[in-house]
Order: sequence, then C-alpha cells, then structure tokens
Amino acid sequence: MGVVTVAALSFASLGVSLSVRLQAGVLWLAVLFGMFPALARGFISEEELGTADLLRLGARPSCVFWGKWLFHMTLYAVLSAVLVPLYMLMIAPLEGAWWAWLGLWGLGGVGLVTVLTLCGALVAGTASRGALLAVVTFPLLLPMVLMLIAATEQILHARPVGQSLQGILGYGLMLSAGAAWIFEKIWRE
Amino acid sequence: MRYTRRVRWVLECDSLGKRFGMRWVFRGLSLRAESGSVVVVQGGNGSGKSTLLRIVAGLTAPTEGQVILRYGAQRVAPRMDYLGWCATDGALYRELTAYEHLSWWATVRGGAPSREALLAWLARFALAERAHERVRAFSTGMRQRLRLALATWGQPPLLLLDEPDAGMDRSGLALLERILYEQRTFGLALFATNRAEHARWGDLVLEMGA
Repeated sequence: MGVVTVAALSFASLGVSLSVRLQAGVLWLAVLFGMFPALARGFISEEELGTADLLRLGARPSCVFWGKWLFHMTLYAVLSAVLVPLYMLMIAPLEGAWWAWLGLWGLGGVGLVTVLTLCGALVAGTASRGALLAVVTFPLLLPMVLMLIAATEQILHARPVGQSLQGILGYGLMLSAGAAWIFEKIWRE
Repeated sequence: MRYTRRVRWVLECDSLGKRFGMRWVFRGLSLRAESGSVVVVQGGNGSGKSTLLRIVAGLTAPTEGQVILRYGAQRVAPRMDYLGWCATDGALYRELTAYEHLSWWATVRGGAPSREALLAWLARFALAERAHERVRAFSTGMRQRLRLALATWGQPPLLLLDEPDAGMDRSGLALLERILYEQRTFGLALFATNRAEHARWGDLVLEMGA
C-alpha cells in the first residue's frame, strides 16, 4: 500500500513541483498506508486463527505486547528500507542533516508502532475490525502524524528540529507506557 | 512455586454465571473438585460447557461469581500458570511443526527441555514420526493429539479438556483415557464431552443445562 501511494502520487504530480509540506505529508501517509495491512499479521490474525488463546495461556501480557511491538517495529524497518529509496527516486530527495532524519525515523517509528499495536489489540476481538480500527487509531495517530510532518518540514527547510523531536519522543514515551498498561487490562477479558 | 503431591489442589467455582447479551448461558453454578478427581462436564449444544471451561481457564470473565484454585489452603494466582488447556477449536500455528509447537510451548512455560525430551513427549502421543511436518498437513485427530501434548506438557495440576474426544480414533481415545487416569495422580481435570459413554472416565458428572 505504501509503495502504491508513493507511485500513484509521483505519477499524479508528474512535472509538478510538490511543496515541502506536501512532500512531508506524502512521506508519512505512505508509511501509514504501508503499516496498516501489517496489523492483520499481528493480533487480528491471532484472533481469527484462534491462536490468541494459546498466547493468553502461555505468556504474560507484557511479553505478548512487546513481542508484537517488536514484530511491527521490524516490519517498519523493512518497509522503510523499501519506501525511502522509492520516495527519493520518485517524489523528492530527502535533504538535511542525516542525524535528524535518523532521530525522526526512529522516534516516529516508536510512536506509530505503539499506537498501531495497541489499536490492533483493542479491535482484534471485535466483529467489525476494519471500521473500528480507523475510528480507534485516528485520535491517537493524528497528533503524532502532525508532529512528524512538522518535523519533516523543518528538516527539509534545514531549520532546527530538536524541539520537535523532543515532542515526538515525549508523546511516544507516553503512548508506550500507557499502551503497555492498557494492554494488560484488555488482553485477558 | 514448588509443590509436592502430598498437598492437594482444590478448584472452587463459586456461584458462577455467564450472560451473553440478555441470555444467561448458566447461572448459580458452584463446584468443588480436589486432586485425584476428574469432573465430566456434559450437556447439549449451547449449554455452556465450553464457556465454563474458558471461565475456569481464565480466558473468559464470568458475569458473576468467581473461580479459585488452591494449593492446600493457599490461593494460587494467576491460575493460568498451573493449567493445561485443550479445546477442539483451539487453533495451532499452521506454519509450525509439531516439534516447534512443543518447543515453543515448553519455552513460554519457562522450561528449556532437550530435543530428546520433546521428541519423547511427542512419541507418547504417536506424533514423533511426523514431528517435523507442518501442522497444516495434519489430520483432525493428529491435531487433537498435538493439542493434548501441549496441554499435558509439564504435568499441570489442573487439566481442562474441551471435547478432546472429537475426531479421535480408537487409539486416540485410549490415550485420552490414560491421560485422565494419570492426571488423578498429580492433580484434577475438567473434561467436557458430548459422548455419554465417556462419562465413565470421570468421578463426577456435571450436567449443564439440566
């Protein structure tokens, strides 16, 4: 999905120069679209196959949560390895300090993966997962995505990005702590 | 927790009730079973056999009442660490082999068994020869044997079996009977079945929906 987003937008904007804000938006939109199908490989597929009960019986909730989180984080890294070169090739080069990009990518990944992992667990046991997932994730993801887009814009404009990264780190840490706690409550009915 | 066979395990279900929407599946169910006993849970479809076992396992929350597992006078929590669970609809990972399943299960249960020990356990369930085949190639009866192998691994003091006799051939049923017999020596079991002739494997019959 992420690849399709990048490809579609690059063809749609052929010959047109995208503004920096739009470039930043496209980058994170592609990442999000790429990450959403991954949820099916997390908690939702466990519930559909019935293997979630094995996990509930065998492992502590925190181990399950952080195990899935790690799986989603790995997927985020793989997705990034595909998407970023494609984005640079088809949309625009990612200019700016490499350390800022690295920090943004790492912190953004922590925040996005935490939200998606928790929301995947929340909706996995429900009947209308697809619709509910969008509803549940939106309010949690929106502040994170807006901060990521703002920070991306700052890096592309070669402006100081330290404060934005601090904000993303704070939000990510708050989400991680909250998500692990909430997960313990919801995992075993 | 270390435990000896001299101290008895006790399962207490106190005024259990479960409601789905407006419908009570069962209500006011109380039960007490000790080490050395097998409780056969019988009843028609939808009478709440599986729901009861899920509640005892801690997989489903009761609407009212509580389940307590005691080791002597001491209350054990969480009881999930002390039970084995086998259900007909309990899924297995299709991509994993029987050996990988058992190895993974033994690891999450906190052990580090040798390859020989795992294969010996699978041999007990007539799965050793196909230990390295993916589960997707297994028949219904073989999957059921694997579920039993997982449920009984580590000799859990509380064994919960939800229609494990479904899809079992004659040797599988003999194996199941032996498992229930052996379970009495170190714990207790709840065994849900639709087959009336298997009620003789238990010491106490709980008739659901009656």
